[in-house]
Amino acid sequence: MTAGNPPIRRHRRRPLRPGRALSYAVLILVCALLLLPIVLTFLYSFFPTSEMKAFLETRNNYEPDHYMDILLSPSIVSLGQYYSLLIEKPVYLQLFFNSALYTLSILLGQLLVIPALAYALSRFRFRGRDALFFAVLMLMLLPFQVTMAPSVLTMRTLGLMNTRWAVILPMVFAPLYVFLIRQYMVGIPTDMFEAAMMDGAGTWRCFAHMVMPISKPILGAAAALSFADGWNMVEQPLIYLSNDQGAMPLSVMFDRVAASEPGVAFAGAALYIMPALLIYTYFQEDILLGIQLSDMK
Amino acid sequence: MFQKKKSLWLFLLPGLTGLLLFYVVPFLGGIYYSMTDGTISNQIVWFDNYKRVWDNEVFRLGLKNSLELSLICAPLIFVFSFVLAVMLRVLKEKSVTFRNLLLMPYLVPSAALLIVWQQILFDYGGPVNRVVAALGFERVLWLESEALRVPVVLLYVWKNLGFSIVLFSAALSSVPDALYEFARLEGANAVQQEMRITLPMILPTAFLVFVMAWVNAFKIFKEVYFIGGAYPRDSVYTLQHYMNNQFAKLDYQNVTTAAYSFALIVFVLFGALYLSRGVRGNDGR
Repeated sequence: MTAGNPPIRRHRRRPLRPGRALSYAVLILVCALLLLPIVLTFLYSFFPTSEMKAFLETRNNYEPDHYMDILLSPSIVSLGQYYSLLIEKPVYLQLFFNSALYTLSILLGQLLVIPALAYALSRFRFRGRDALFFAVLMLMLLPFQVTMAPSVLTMRTLGLMNTRWAVILPMVFAPLYVFLIRQYMVGIPTDMFEAAMMDGAGTWRCFAHMVMPISKPILGAAAALSFADGWNMVEQPLIYLSNDQGAMPLSVMFDRVAASEPGVAFAGAALYIMPALLIYTYFQEDILLGIQLSDMK
Repeated sequence: MFQKKKSLWLFLLPGLTGLLLFYVVPFLGGIYYSMTDGTISNQIVWFDNYKRVWDNEVFRLGLKNSLELSLICAPLIFVFSFVLAVMLRVLKEKSVTFRNLLLMPYLVPSAALLIVWQQILFDYGGPVNRVVAALGFERVLWLESEALRVPVVLLYVWKNLGFSIVLFSAALSSVPDALYEFARLEGANAVQQEMRITLPMILPTAFLVFVMAWVNAFKIFKEVYFIGGAYPRDSVYTLQHYMNNQFAKLDYQNVTTAAYSFALIVFVLFGALYLSRGVRGNDGR
């Protein structure tokens, strides 16, 4: 790796050429491996249902010389899987809409509650603030299961058990996003507040007309990460919706749908991935910022 | 900083109410649960539940697996993300596309990936075993044996690698280029540069990446649940499985007791992180 260490030339700022070549090679390989499952999912979603079904039947075969074929091109490019999912069988769409409903309700609730809380935690001085922030920090590290049993009791007391609210409400207050947005707001220069207050702006005007617009990147990041969370949630619906299969989101039921209809599973997966990819593409830069802020500096 | 403003309550109250109601109260209420016996008289038994749960073999199996899985995942993520972040820096501005691709799996729902993962890649006759056979080894029963850990860990790493890469990249970009220039003039080769300049400069971030990867991997569940179900093989039966299954049996005492044992471990890991901040404070950051 270091064999080609060249004699020092004054005007070369780039590091070693072999290093660059190696980096390219490794990164291309790793990216290809990482993308392979996603690419395969989309590729297989354009195979005719019958062909896919037949292909999947060759798995779980333990004979010594048997391998599954490496299947790369369909006999005919077909939208049959999509047609079947979207038009013939309403189950999938129902679950998809459930997921969308949960994710969007959670995002909307978070937008109403979390920036305001982060603002209070970052720009106000009040008793118990540090304790509250510390609690947020601790809670964000805990997995759902730690407070699961008592949460169920809270939900029962509130009469929300087995309703969609039980899934939505706790996620609306998710501590992780309070933390992220607070970290960003703390960094807004104090001068700006002083200037705004000189101009007669109160706490609300500062929040609505200055802090919120400035915080757009982190709000985008939080929205994207929270979307991924909601779109992917499993633990909460399993517990809170135990008696109500009809309200389950796609994330919980997808493996069952895929198992009952193997021929159309890949189109189902592709449709399921699609919104996540769109969100990712749109919020890419913001997400990077969000992740960098998550490191508790 | 605003002081003594009435409007504070306008901003604070909605969020605070929710946090208390759905997080803080359940958390504190659970402590009470874990110390009572769950009968009608509901007597306080202090730490008896803890003793019983910690003596329980299934709980221990879950704890052992959660620890082992996290100690497999975290170092893998740590090493790979460091190496890849260094390579991204080598490519400078050309690295953006790569970095974006590397982060993509983080947003993709794991349930959707499952069919490719389970039904094709790791099938006995699938591509992974083709590679294994081509390398001259026996094919492995990935999904039907204790080797189930391999697809689970790989799915976890697949999804979470990008996150650590972003953290490392940010730290690397803050190391001044002049240091490398100087090292090159002194005749240091690439490996020496990484070991003697990069590593010491980003040590605080490196420690943090490791602890975060560890804490998060300790919470591994979704990947196992999708691949192994609610009652998976012994090698991947995690602490969270134990809790879910106790919950299904309506044994709230066991759930909460296990939960606080779990929380304690997470907090100890986090304590290490917090202490490291003290260390960072001393090195002039």
